[in-house]
Amino acid sequence: MLSIETHGLSHSYPNSASGLKDIDLAVPQGSIYGFLGPNGAGKSTLLRVLLGLIRRQRGSVSLLGKPFDTQRIAILREVGSLIETPSLYEHLTARENLALLREIYRVPQTWISDTLHLVGLADSADKRVGQFSLGMKQRLGIAIAVLHRPALLILDEPTNGLDPNGTIEMRELLKKLHRERETTILVSSHVLAEMERLITHVGILAGGRLRFQGTLDALRGAEDARCCVTLRTDDDEHAIATIIEEQPNARRHAHGITLPALAHEQMARLNRRLVERGIGVYELGRRERDLEALFMEYIQ
Amino acid sequence: MSDFPAAFRCEWRKTKRSLGLWLVVVGAFFTPAIVTIARLINHAQLPALYAMDSFWSALWKSSWESMAVFFLPMAAILMTGLIGQLEFKNNGWKQVHTLPLGRSTLFFAKLAVILVLMALFLLLFDVGIYLSAIVPWLILHAFAYPQAPLPLDAFSQQTMLYFVDCLPIVAAQYLLSLHFRNFLVPIGTGFMAWVAALAALSWKFGYLVPYAYTLFDYLQGSANARVAAPLIDVHLLAAAYALAFVVGGYVLFIARRQKG
Ligand SMILES: Nc1ncnc2c1ncn2[C@@H]1O[C@H](COP(=O)(O)OP(=O)(O)OP(=O)(O)O)[C@@H](O)[C@H]1O
Ligand SMILES: [Mg+2]
Repeated sequence: MLSIETHGLSHSYPNSASGLKDIDLAVPQGSIYGFLGPNGAGKSTLLRVLLGLIRRQRGSVSLLGKPFDTQRIAILREVGSLIETPSLYEHLTARENLALLREIYRVPQTWISDTLHLVGLADSADKRVGQFSLGMKQRLGIAIAVLHRPALLILDEPTNGLDPNGTIEMRELLKKLHRERETTILVSSHVLAEMERLITHVGILAGGRLRFQGTLDALRGAEDARCCVTLRTDDDEHAIATIIEEQPNARRHAHGITLPALAHEQMARLNRRLVERGIGVYELGRRERDLEALFMEYIQ
Repeated sequence: MSDFPAAFRCEWRKTKRSLGLWLVVVGAFFTPAIVTIARLINHAQLPALYAMDSFWSALWKSSWESMAVFFLPMAAILMTGLIGQLEFKNNGWKQVHTLPLGRSTLFFAKLAVILVLMALFLLLFDVGIYLSAIVPWLILHAFAYPQAPLPLDAFSQQTMLYFVDCLPIVAAQYLLSLHFRNFLVPIGTGFMAWVAALAALSWKFGYLVPYAYTLFDYLQGSANARVAAPLIDVHLLAAAYALAFVVGGYVLFIARRQKG
């Protein structure tokens, strides 16, 4: 089942040429879906549209298998969200900020302390939020999103303002929620590297369009297919002619030849054939996966 | 709408320690405190004053003057603005609009909190008036407790009418404070509307200015009033304006393109 499903979703701000165009988002239940894109790609806008904070101009949105337009309230009961800067009442304490939401979600009193503990704010529970640091506010924002143990979490750059340690803690927290509560998580970011060790699925948004969507492994596969083996010889021109007979996807560049991933024996055979034809091979290597470079290509 | 009580409690919790709540408490006791201090200073005249038959109504009348003209409209403008601004200031709207609540519940829960605060303001003011009579008597102990009976019924009825009179201000300010991120827009507009109401007092259609009804209510009762007599009952007019502003505010709230 899909926890988030949109079809032909479009939105543009008034007096703005750019906007979201024909987005078909598919977030499978039980996934941690990394929603990636550069600044201004429209990530926050799309997340707002999903939550009904902005009206879309075209397309349909379903969350948790229910159409948003007709079942908004039932859906929101099971969704937690944090969009951009957290919504915190600064004249109240952390505990009071959660207590006012408890009125609506009707969860047990103990969940407030549990949640504060979960996000590492147990010691600051009774401090006014106005005196919180940026990172503490971000944690409280997460606490607000997860207080009612939602089935679906929508987080917009949750590591914003966190130090490296905080970033790792956030990642562990999300993994824990995913593991223990089976929460489906949609999390946006503009850095793939930060997400790579967290997510199971990826969507790449650029220029208002979804450029890639699929599992992280599919993205890795795309990277493998694109380039993984690099080759440098003393005569690239003849070398490429030889290689292309067997590997039609090989490409010649200014600094050598690249071709898709090969098995060890294939690489050895390729080398042998080149040497047999009198071409000197002085570099034959396997390049490390570079998802970041692929990501950059998608967003350009 | 079955979620209304929960939504109301949620909104009410937001007023704890807020400036809006402080304003209600401090504003309500301001005039009574001044009256009390003035009495303690001019204590020589008090025995005669406290013996008067019209003791309570004279106190009531003098206390309400600054209230009806200034404090009540200002409190309605500032308090409504401060409560509305809580969301914009704290990036709260996007959180509020992703709660599992209907949009009408959201709108009316917040309005209800403002109305309760307004009622609290008037109630505390009335208590303050009573205290401004009792406290000098308790402290000085130099004269008898006022002999005149306390006209509770009349006072509470008048308080309720003042409440109705300030409703158009509350409703209009609510509309503005939900719509404009910048706090100065509702406050500035409200202040100008109040000045307009003052300026238009002696104009024959002055009673049509929606911010004028607390003024009219007070001045109608005074002998040397320089106000034009309204052709329609001002409380009725106030209620009608309030209803219109609430409907307008609701429509704008629902139609808002970006909710947060
Ligand atoms: N309220 C608004 N009115 C008009 N245009 C807006 C508004 N909010 C955002 N935009 C525009 O919409 C585009 C997408 O913005 P959005 O905030 O969704 O980007 P983003 O992907 O979240 O970027 P970032 O990584 O910086 O958070 C930008 O070009 C932005 O200028
Ligand atoms: Mg953003």
